Amino acid sequence: MSEKPSFRTPLGRVRWLGAAHFGTEEAMRLRLTSLALVPLTIAFVWILLTLLAKDYNGARAELSEPLPALLVLMFVLAGVYHMTIGMRSVIVDYLHGAAREWALTANTLFCGALGLACVYAILRIGFV
Amino acid sequence: MASTGTAPKTARQRPLSPHIGIYRLTLTMAMSGAHRITGVGLYAGVLLLAWFLLATSTDAANFAVFSGFIHSIIGRIVLFGFTWALFHHLLGGLRHFIWDAGYGMDDPLREQLAQATLVGGIVLTLVVWVIGYAVR
Repeated sequence: MSEKPSFRTPLGRVRWLGAAHFGTEEAMRLRLTSLALVPLTIAFVWILLTLLAKDYNGARAELSEPLPALLVLMFVLAGVYHMTIGMRSVIVDYLHGAAREWALTANTLFCGALGLACVYAILRIGFV
Repeated sequence: MASTGTAPKTARQRPLSPHIGIYRLTLTMAMSGAHRITGVGLYAGVLLLAWFLLATSTDAANFAVFSGFIHSIIGRIVLFGFTWALFHHLLGGLRHFIWDAGYGMDDPLREQLAQATLVGGIVLTLVVWVIGYAVR
């Protein structure tokens, strides 16, 4: 922080430079997605167990059904959003400066790409 | 240069918060770390899920490559670790909900919750794997 005389208030100098104004929203979204993930994780594990005895055609057929497809889709969406926020909080705890900015950017891009890849695959299984 | 009445130029020795290393390791501390580590593990594990979904969405040859990996010894170890991390993190999340509601921070209950999360995660993992081997 600059020690030069300034007319700017301490609040004005830190505003938009960090978590200010975003922390509560992010914390609540982490909790909201984790709440959704409790039943969705149980459903996901159940679906995986039913897939174990199946071959390619069987697995495809099951994941084409509306209920398993929707449950896996919801698991992926809630999970990817949850892990984006979770990794963001890990990054801001341990990294600083430029490394933090790059890591935050990489995290967002990686999670976005991973989420889209999963959604694309689920839709492709159902519709192609 | 006129004094502005702000902080002096020389760096002041300000108090630091005690470092994690000076504390005796407790179960709740270890579980806090485990919650974060399992979270990061699951983050990487979602790559496996994306691989599975993409392989299933394309053709039998891609599915066979994934199937070959996941049925190998390394694949099984990775999937077992993923299962444990999933259940450990899930139960850890439930523990966080209890704290968010304002309960479970006092002495007997917080230790019991930590133990329940640790044991519960292992038990649920074993139950799912026993079912998995039984149904396949």
